[in-house]
Amino acid sequence: MTALIELNGITKVLKGQEQPRTILDGVGLSVHPGESLAIVGRSGSGKSTLLSVLGLFDRPDQGSYLLDGTEISRLPERRAAKLRSSHFGFVFQRFFLLKHLTAAQNVAMALVNGQGWLPRRQRRAKVMAALEEVGIAHLAKNRPAKMSGGEQQRVAIARALVRQPRILLADEPTGALDTETGTLVIDALQGVTARGCALILVTHDRDHAARMGRILHLNEGVLAEQKVAA
Amino acid sequence: MIRLSGRFRSALIIGLQGIRARKTRTLLSMVSLFLGVLAVVVVQAGASIAERALLADMELQRGIDGTKVMGMAPQPRVSEIIMDTVPGRDDAVAVVGVSAIIGEPGVRPVNPNASPFDEIGFYGMPMVCDATGNCREQTPAEAGPEGQAIEVRLTALTGDIRQFKPFRPKSGQWLDFGSVPSMAPRLVLNEEAAKGFERYRVPAEMRVPGASANMTPQLIGVVDDGDYQPRAYVRMDEMANWIPATKLVDPSMGEMNVLMTGDTPVEQVLTSKLKAINAEPYVELINSRKDQEKELALMRLIFLSMAGLVLLIGVAGILNVGLATVGERVEEFALRRAVGTPRALLAGIVLAETLITGLLTAALAIGVSAAALKGVVVLAGNSEPFLQGVVFPWDAGVAGVIAGLIAGVLGGFVPALRAAGIPIATVMRA
Ligand SMILES: Nc1ncnc2c1ncn2[C@@H]1O[C@H](COP(=O)(O)OP(=O)(O)O)[C@@H](O)[C@H]1O
Ligand SMILES: [Mg+2]
Repeated sequence: MTALIELNGITKVLKGQEQPRTILDGVGLSVHPGESLAIVGRSGSGKSTLLSVLGLFDRPDQGSYLLDGTEISRLPERRAAKLRSSHFGFVFQRFFLLKHLTAAQNVAMALVNGQGWLPRRQRRAKVMAALEEVGIAHLAKNRPAKMSGGEQQRVAIARALVRQPRILLADEPTGALDTETGTLVIDALQGVTARGCALILVTHDRDHAARMGRILHLNEGVLAEQKVAA
Repeated sequence: MIRLSGRFRSALIIGLQGIRARKTRTLLSMVSLFLGVLAVVVVQAGASIAERALLADMELQRGIDGTKVMGMAPQPRVSEIIMDTVPGRDDAVAVVGVSAIIGEPGVRPVNPNASPFDEIGFYGMPMVCDATGNCREQTPAEAGPEGQAIEVRLTALTGDIRQFKPFRPKSGQWLDFGSVPSMAPRLVLNEEAAKGFERYRVPAEMRVPGASANMTPQLIGVVDDGDYQPRAYVRMDEMANWIPATKLVDPSMGEMNVLMTGDTPVEQVLTSKLKAINAEPYVELINSRKDQEKELALMRLIFLSMAGLVLLIGVAGILNVGLATVGERVEEFALRRAVGTPRALLAGIVLAETLITGLLTAALAIGVSAAALKGVVVLAGNSEPFLQGVVFPWDAGVAGVIAGLIAGVLGGFVPALRAAGIPIATVMRA
């Protein structure tokens, strides 16, 4: 079975300071469809930087990045934007909901992005399905100000899922939530692996990490598999 | 094509959402832009209205564009040729002007030389010429004692001149060229002549040099012909009962013209006949619009550049608000890029918002100026004749929309570039 994602020797150097700093140092990683994995590491170890390379926010300085066997590490921005839209979903520590839009409109934002046009009716159906998937279809018409943190984060997850991505990247999605709500959010995230979507979760929470299929440790820019306690 | 229209629609949807979310901002932008767009609209409307008024006056005085005017020296033989050729045609009208005195017989008119009534004496005394062509001013003694009489330019027409000069009816009727000629010549006065008849009680008796007897004219109407000299229009054939057309010639002050359409054969016929008697006519093709185009264009340009300056100040306002807004929306734009929105579309969204703001402002400025113009016309239209029937010129509307669009592009360009340049990783560091 070919890997969905295949990273090899990914290096990211931070320039613009007194001396360049290597943030990612030859990272290798393969991810298969439907797989879930956690990335852990102390603050500033480069977890977000790794996600931003994975999510095509940023380009590595060295190394190769194969997506479905195709090299994409040097893609022009226009094609990268298209891939972000078609293959990736993102969830961040903060929810980044637009406060002047309803939950449904916030989810629709990922559909109204200039990558293909869907008629209003189809847009609505997809939005409602995504909200349903994270269990908050009843909040479709609410604005963020009227929702709890957990509900807002689930709107953000619905926004990430509405285009049915192949890979879901989550950067400390429970960092701003209490334990109980955080668990609900992880439930929602983990649910996507059932239909073949890969989940990559950056977290500080051991329990959440333990629920993933694999745990990877990022230290000094080097990514290493953590032995799972049998 | 489909992708393009999808982007366009996305930009529009998101732009409208943004405007709705920031109504106060939009309003502020509109306020800063309003005066500039208004200035453009007002200048353009003013220029168009002035041009139309100017053109309408020139049409009265010189003829509508496309009219050909053939002028010649007033001579009996020329008159004969014209009278053989022009009467009865509907594509040419001969215009013969002589001086005529209406009022008490044997007296000097109150306005010698048919001077305007507010400038009496300005034109001096009429000239008298002897057979050798030597001319001198009449002495008051020769002219007779002053009495209740006024002098007009009597203008005899072979047909309806209004197809070439659209005289505006003021009261009464215009000459009816279809009816049986009357023995008492029917006169239509211009407004200056009507003023004379209002000011002086003159008996209805008309002296025309060369006529067999004095006539009793009937005044049937008044028109605005754009002339400042008193004039009376009369049917040529009604004069013929009193004076043969060949004698209706005034060598010192007379006019003899033929107005015709651009393509009439009359021009050719008259020219060759006149050449045969060595009376070379001159022909002018009226093209007032073109003649004054340069001047008007320059004037318009000067005013529009001043309006443009005001507009620039408004653009600075939009720019300022736009930059502040982009600064506030850094996270939104980074997130939009994360979900796959291309940078070009982000720029498009910002531009769409400023363009919509510009268009809204334009609509407002156009509405305000159209309403103001309507108000002015209603309030002052009766005292200012050039305002009568003035409607808001469409080109001023177009200019307003263009000004709004230009302001939108200029004010949105830099913010759009900024928005497109926001790094996506912003969402991870926040
Ligand atoms: N734009 C940037 N400017 C300055 N330093 C940065 C920037 N992006 C990342 N870094 C640095 O790179 C390192 C890795 O950051 P990050 O990937 O956010 O770590 P993590 O997500 O694991 O906390 C940190 O030391 C951070 O300070
Ligand atoms: Mg981080």
